[in-house]
Amino acid sequence: MPATDYQGVSASFTNFGRSILSIRRDQVHSMDSSNHGATSQELELEAFQRQVAERFRDLSSVDSNELLSVSWIRKLLDVYLCCQEEFRVIMFNNRGNFNRAPSDRYILEFFERSVKALDVCNAIRDGIEQIRQWQKQLEIVLCALDNQRSLGEGQFRRAKKALIDLAIGMLDEKDSNTTLAQRNRSFGRSNVNKDHKSLGHFRSLSWSVSRSWSAAKQLQAIGINLVAPKANEIMATNGLVVAVFTMSYVLFFVMWALVAAIPCQDRGLQTHFYVTRQFIWAVPILSLHERILEESKKRDRRNACGLLKEIREIEKCACQMNELTDSVQFPLTEDKEVEVKQRVKELGLVYEAVKDGLDPLECQVREVFHRIVRSRTEGLDSMGRANTHQ
Amino acid sequence: MAENGEEKLIQMARHIAKTLGHTDNMTDDILQIFSNFDGRFREKLSEKLSDEDSRSFAALEQTLKSLDRQISRYVSAGHPIWSDSADSSSFLDSVDELIGLIRDWTPMSGEKNVSACLDRAEDLLQQAMFRLEDEFKLSMERGGESFDVTRYHNGESAHPSYSSDSEDQDKDEDDEIPVAHPISDYNIIIDALPSGTINDLHEIVKRMVAGGYGKECSHAYSSCRREFLEESLSRLGLQKLSNDEVQKMQWSDLEDEIERWIKAANVALRILFPSERRLCDRIFFGFSSAADLSFMEVCRGSTIQLLKFTDAVAIGSRAPERLFKVLDVFETVRDLIPEFEAVFSDQYCLFLRNEAITIWKRLGEAIRGIFMELENLIRRDPAKTAVPGGGLHPITRYVMNYLRAACQSRQTLEQVFEESVAPPSAGDYRKMEDRSLSSSSMSVQIAWIMELLQSNLEAKSKIYRDSPLCSVFMMNNGRYIVQKVKDCELGSLLGDDWVRKQMAKLRLYHVSYQRSSWSKVLGELKIDGHSLKEKLKFFNTNFEQICKTQSTWVIFDEQLRDELRSSVAGNLLPAYGNFIGRLPSSPEMGKQVERYVKYSVEDLEARINELFQGRGGLAGGRK
Repeated sequence: MPATDYQGVSASFTNFGRSILSIRRDQVHSMDSSNHGATSQELELEAFQRQVAERFRDLSSVDSNELLSVSWIRKLLDVYLCCQEEFRVIMFNNRGNFNRAPSDRYILEFFERSVKALDVCNAIRDGIEQIRQWQKQLEIVLCALDNQRSLGEGQFRRAKKALIDLAIGMLDEKDSNTTLAQRNRSFGRSNVNKDHKSLGHFRSLSWSVSRSWSAAKQLQAIGINLVAPKANEIMATNGLVVAVFTMSYVLFFVMWALVAAIPCQDRGLQTHFYVTRQFIWAVPILSLHERILEESKKRDRRNACGLLKEIREIEKCACQMNELTDSVQFPLTEDKEVEVKQRVKELGLVYEAVKDGLDPLECQVREVFHRIVRSRTEGLDSMGRANTHQ
Repeated sequence: MAENGEEKLIQMARHIAKTLGHTDNMTDDILQIFSNFDGRFREKLSEKLSDEDSRSFAALEQTLKSLDRQISRYVSAGHPIWSDSADSSSFLDSVDELIGLIRDWTPMSGEKNVSACLDRAEDLLQQAMFRLEDEFKLSMERGGESFDVTRYHNGESAHPSYSSDSEDQDKDEDDEIPVAHPISDYNIIIDALPSGTINDLHEIVKRMVAGGYGKECSHAYSSCRREFLEESLSRLGLQKLSNDEVQKMQWSDLEDEIERWIKAANVALRILFPSERRLCDRIFFGFSSAADLSFMEVCRGSTIQLLKFTDAVAIGSRAPERLFKVLDVFETVRDLIPEFEAVFSDQYCLFLRNEAITIWKRLGEAIRGIFMELENLIRRDPAKTAVPGGGLHPITRYVMNYLRAACQSRQTLEQVFEESVAPPSAGDYRKMEDRSLSSSSMSVQIAWIMELLQSNLEAKSKIYRDSPLCSVFMMNNGRYIVQKVKDCELGSLLGDDWVRKQMAKLRLYHVSYQRSSWSKVLGELKIDGHSLKEKLKFFNTNFEQICKTQSTWVIFDEQLRDELRSSVAGNLLPAYGNFIGRLPSSPEMGKQVERYVKYSVEDLEARINELFQGRGGLAGGRK
């Protein structure tokens, strides 16, 4: 599904999502001439499609160097929360209609996908904690090299050690499966060799999910059977299933993007992503998907433990700093000292960005978790109640 | 004196310049400014090191050399320094001296020679710090090894938890299963590390913080303890389950998991976390911020793991049978909230405490959701097949026993229903609210469920074609409901009024049974103008028919059965006795009485006593 595939035809399809509803309305009207003009429900559903599309269009207008930055991810989560909120209102306003086929199946499937998304949220939270551990190593590097009276071998050794620990930490992430296998050893660890121990230092930060858990599989499970509703289903539900499908798709995409950006167990982005471009929001979402996928295929990103812009910056800074620490000789030449100061300054900026970004990001991921739970609970409650009034 | 004063002034100026100037250039600039300020300074300030300075500089070199010798010996030692207390204290002394030396001389680092010495000193410091870090980790690990997690220390004496302080809880479990034995007394604190080790670690912490290596130290500490906690939790049998896995679990497996979780949560919050807190406070004594941060790092993962499971339970299926286990989880979290508050009170841990509270509330929602599901099940229970003989319907038995069991957790449930801010849908509850403004949300809830049950039963009674059988069915179920309510918490929740009302309803069904079943037959026994012979014939046939039918009906409750029989007898026997007493004097019957009277009064009574026996194996219910 190359990018041009849909961009070429996007214009003609941009308003298709609306037109589905309009066509249906026309048909309804031709059958029932007493009803003129769009009902408030129809207007609401159309507005939802439009708002989702607008939000994602806004998200997709991001610069390529800001794509997948912490601030962009936060914006993405904001978008999710807004969509969820609007969808909640739709659920509330149509609470009597979700008990009938095929709406009931759509909404129950959406709730199932939601539960699966909760696991992704948890995994992402672990991933954020993982980045925080790297941030600690950066902090030590800064501590060693920033604002020192003079830069001696001692400071460099200290920085170097933190950089190595950082590299092990980031490596551990990439093939966590192999290292994790050694984790569950018993209390008696009398004969641990030195190397092993230094690794143990990092392995201790565990995922709170079982070892077999896989983000890739979870995404697949969220995306399974996620196909656009058929025309007759749309008719039968006055377009309600379109809203559920839209929300399901938004959920799916947001979870996928989180997994793309943030370290988690067994990341894999090869989830099948397809949606007909008849929905006005499909174009921006698919374009984002394409861009993120391309990012993941870049040579320097292929083995990354997360596509988050800040992770790339940590890697870049750490790598440069590593080379620098390997190349320095003492006493430092003036040129070297200037270079070191420059690198330290850059590292400081990365550190600050990570430090300031992670806490609010984690809060937001938590918020998404809570909202998903709440919306699901409300949905189930109102369905239960509606059932009993029949 | 004047000379001396000037000397001091110049020293002061030099010192100020060095302190203010971050770099040599800046220091020079500042000295320049001082020189320009007063010409007399110029000469003095630009002088080479004074004699005194060079003397003390020589001392610095000397000290550094000797520290280098001592420290390097330890840094390169092939065995743990802390295996010998003389070694460790001498090493610490040297480190102290080195840190002091750096601190004292840093203000003078403007001097080239001093600066070079400081470089060497800092280099040495770094080596010493790395070694300290290694020793720190080693002591942590060794201390940890000496501690067996299945043995909890209780005050002075160490003994296995499964001895005296746990009661009958523990069966003789196979010792090979690597799961900690259940304990009942949580009021114990583990010393996860021997006291000596704790002191050693604290001494190292002091030096590492003083040397500016506090972060490394705290990191090493947290990593090690975190691992210990995680291993402890997994020894308590706690698995790392995702929401998805929990949803897919068999309920019976999940029940076992919940049992394990409850134990693990109690052990974690009442023993492990406070023990960690104490350990952390002792090792980082004097560095409260480092202690708080390290403690959070230690407990974060385990706490999140514990709470995550609760989340998964809370969003799980709302099948009513899950109520009791979810209540257990709710109560566990509720009872642990004070522990959460005590142990996670500092700024870094606050979010863990808040999360516990959020999840506790969510469990309350889950419980309300389960009740809602119960309501739905009652309402939707179809009236397809009639219970034979108008006996007790399974739904009545299910709901009543369910509610009785639920009411054993009355206090908790009251709390749960009190929590729900507003009834989600006014329509459902308004009626109830009007009626019982003073009663608790839980009474409202229970009364509402009873109403749903009764209207469901009424709907079910309609499928009996026989109208007296409808009444029998309603009496049976109504009787059962009242009995189940009377002698337990349900009674006090629903109130005496409610019970009286139900009794009144039961009497109405009784009357309605009498009327629909017997009034016609009874009418035949009235002496009026009609043929007595016909009347008697009619009576016999009908009575026969009714007895035949109603002997297959069921009244499960003996007392009710007796009441019903005796009320039938009480109406029928006198009328019948009266009727047949009149027969001999009637011209129509005369001597033929014997021929037409099929039943004596006694016969009739015997037949009545055969009613409601549920004959034909169609017993309506075991009690």
